[in-house]
Amino acid sequence: MTDYRTLAFEEVEVGDKLPSLEIEITTGLIVSTALATRDFEPVHHDKAVAQATGLPDVFMNILTSQSFMTRFVTDWSGPEAVVKSVDIRLGAPNVPGMVMTVTGRVQAKDDDAGEVEVAVAGENNIWGMHMEGCVRLQLPGS
Amino acid sequence: MVANIKDKAVICGIGNTEFSKNSGVSELNLAVRACKAALDDAGLSPADVDGMVTFTMDTSDEIEVARALGVGEMTFYGRAHYGGGAATATLHQAAMAVATGMAETVLCYRALNGRSGHRFSSGVSGTITTADAIHWGWYTPYGLLTPASWVGMFTQRWMHLTGVTKDALYEVAKATRDYAANNPAAFFHGQTFDRAEYDAQRMISTPLQLFDCCQESDGGSAVLVTTPERARDLRQSGVAIRGVAQCAARDQEQMTSFYRQEFAGIPEMERAARDAYAMSGLGPEDIDAAVIYDAFSSIVLWQLEAWDFCGFGESGDFVQDGALRPGGRLPVNTHGGQLSEAYIHGVNGIVEAVRLVRGTSVNQPAKTVEHALVTSGVGIPTGGALLGKQD
Amino acid sequence: MNDEQQQAFEQCLYRFVGRQVCARTAAKDAVNEAMIRHWAETVGDANPAYTDAQWAARSARGRIIAPPAMMYSWNQEGFPVVAQGRAPDAQTELVDLFNENGFTGVLGTNVKQEYYKEIGLGERVHLEMVIDNISEQKATARGIGYFFETLASFSDQHGDLIGTQRFRVLKFIPPETAAAADGGGAEQDTLQTPTRIAAPRGHDNSWWWEACDQGQVLIQRCRNCQTLRHPPRPMCGECQSLDWDSIESCLEGELLSFTELHHPRIPGYPLPLICGVIRLREGVNLVANIVGAEEQALAIGMRVQGKVEQVDEKTMLPQFYPAENGVEK
Repeated sequence: MTDYRTLAFEEVEVGDKLPSLEIEITTGLIVSTALATRDFEPVHHDKAVAQATGLPDVFMNILTSQSFMTRFVTDWSGPEAVVKSVDIRLGAPNVPGMVMTVTGRVQAKDDDAGEVEVAVAGENNIWGMHMEGCVRLQLPGS
Repeated sequence: MVANIKDKAVICGIGNTEFSKNSGVSELNLAVRACKAALDDAGLSPADVDGMVTFTMDTSDEIEVARALGVGEMTFYGRAHYGGGAATATLHQAAMAVATGMAETVLCYRALNGRSGHRFSSGVSGTITTADAIHWGWYTPYGLLTPASWVGMFTQRWMHLTGVTKDALYEVAKATRDYAANNPAAFFHGQTFDRAEYDAQRMISTPLQLFDCCQESDGGSAVLVTTPERARDLRQSGVAIRGVAQCAARDQEQMTSFYRQEFAGIPEMERAARDAYAMSGLGPEDIDAAVIYDAFSSIVLWQLEAWDFCGFGESGDFVQDGALRPGGRLPVNTHGGQLSEAYIHGVNGIVEAVRLVRGTSVNQPAKTVEHALVTSGVGIPTGGALLGKQD
Repeated sequence: MNDEQQQAFEQCLYRFVGRQVCARTAAKDAVNEAMIRHWAETVGDANPAYTDAQWAARSARGRIIAPPAMMYSWNQEGFPVVAQGRAPDAQTELVDLFNENGFTGVLGTNVKQEYYKEIGLGERVHLEMVIDNISEQKATARGIGYFFETLASFSDQHGDLIGTQRFRVLKFIPPETAAAADGGGAEQDTLQTPTRIAAPRGHDNSWWWEACDQGQVLIQRCRNCQTLRHPPRPMCGECQSLDWDSIESCLEGELLSFTELHHPRIPGYPLPLICGVIRLREGVNLVANIVGAEEQALAIGMRVQGKVEQVDEKTMLPQFYPAENGVEK
């Protein structure tokens, strides 16, 4: 069994940077993640419908952006961390052919609750900011 | 044969700023500090300077540097074109000015925020200067936008024709990493490196991976050139310019001479080498160490061939036999080069070549370095200089 | 819309505040391994808390949990949305009201989920949703509009609160195309698909690119000594004649070198992208893209055949394919 490590609350400092994550945006990813989140809105799998809204192609659904935010943070924290909230400001759409780079940094710690607040931004290489906001995580004590 | 100015100009001072990924200061600030460091090294003051040379790509005008430094009257100023091809061209112009009496003491400088400011790896864009726009337009629509993409195209063909493999490219990179590990000014100071790490890096443009490519750095470097007479009275022992040459060859383009009948070669460097050797009366057997422009690992190999240290296609074996190493036939890029110290467009390489002749490199070879070669970037009009101890 | 019309509109509008979009409804499926696995695979989330039963059993939680970001997914309607459209509810009515009054633009601006309780396999998510608030009229970068916010509450089979989601949407009057063409702020909001960086066209090369736009690759020829030259330039390097014409290339040739681009990513260029130098049968070299083959299938010396193709919305370029029976020389 793989040994998964989880960061202890005490190990984390405000200002710590998370390893960045590059996500290649493909049609396959957009359609698959939309369906995996049970989002069958045609704009996420039907190019013609997406184009009728003025976009060049199908685009990523919001539930997937939320999913990448939490994955990005728990990839770093380890599996025993408990996600408490995800607060996102939405920016430009992710469409096929783009690459989204997700970066993050610890911006606050709440000693009483044992929670850390991680500022996260996902920027695509063509239209810029796709999502930015923060994820609150509860970490185990050491 | 071009005019002979052997030993008519001498390098009397060298200076670097610190190298970093984020200088936090202007390029002018870096230029001025590098120049001041070179003057301090020589024991001269700004008032002694009457000439300046830099790259056309430099953003710090000569008169701005002069005002900031407190230089008085300048009777010579010039610029050298073509990116890193200008490295030893600055020395060339300074030597000509000093040899002809147009100036007595000439500063060569180059300073850039190559990481925190404009990054070459970001590619040529739609805002490139109009003089070059048409030329780049033959490449940009296809995606050939970065130095790595242009050099990748050359490298692939050269490897195909010669049978040289990535083993040789790795050895070039590895040698600079080992030198840099020992150089506190180098980006890779104190860091180990092995083949597994080299192989694991991302592909940039086939066959070039990340560690086949140089740093992007912030920093400045300067070299001070003066007359032999004046150099004798200064703080440092003089390093004479024995030979210096430039060449733009037939059907030359900037980085993309793909329209030659055979483009896996650097005929412009072969000509410059012949001229520099002829001017100096030296041959490859007289050269004890070298700083060979290393924007990419593969280009070091071609230059070893162009300067006749080995024949066409033989540079792979040459380096794999340990030639670039401290005890090897030709210790190369002993500061870590631009692959591993910093990318200051080759002028930090001139600084290191002077140190090699002075005997003050941080990785000084055990043998006496009577003569050192330093070269400019290739793929473009280029050149090189042969330096030796002042008599 | 004049003041009076706006007042009437807003009267209707603000009646939506507090209206229920859906009453507490159970998800069709309980939290289950299959849906979690689909989610984890597509998002690339290897967190064992969601998918590794063995690890989870020994973890502090003692069991598998549902990914928190899936909270909303359990209650999504699924494929019937495509087949039958959405059933009318307070939110669709609100959107209709906006659309009828010209606020046809829509933009999700913020979404916030808070999680109070982790849930495990077999538990069933229940959703209820209300329209929580509607802003006053705002002038935004997109245009004049209103923000409305829905509040979704998620509870388990016992009625215990699992979490909430606030979703904020801007409904706005899109700037008219004519107004956008006048310049100003609206233009910056237009999302354009990036294209290849075009060659600037000047005296010496525009004729070549114009022919390319029409599907032809031309080679400049000296009218005096017949020497072919590419790229075009004003004078013949052999005889110094300024007089030239051109011939059309057959686009057959030999691959002299190639490089596959991986980094950096530059808008408008799908990567990896292969560039090559081709020796055309006419005797001059041409740089172009190599397509229709993986890099591993390419070899220096192989025969290639080109055609001019549209590579993006604005760009026609010669593209070369390995020739039929493209054997190495």
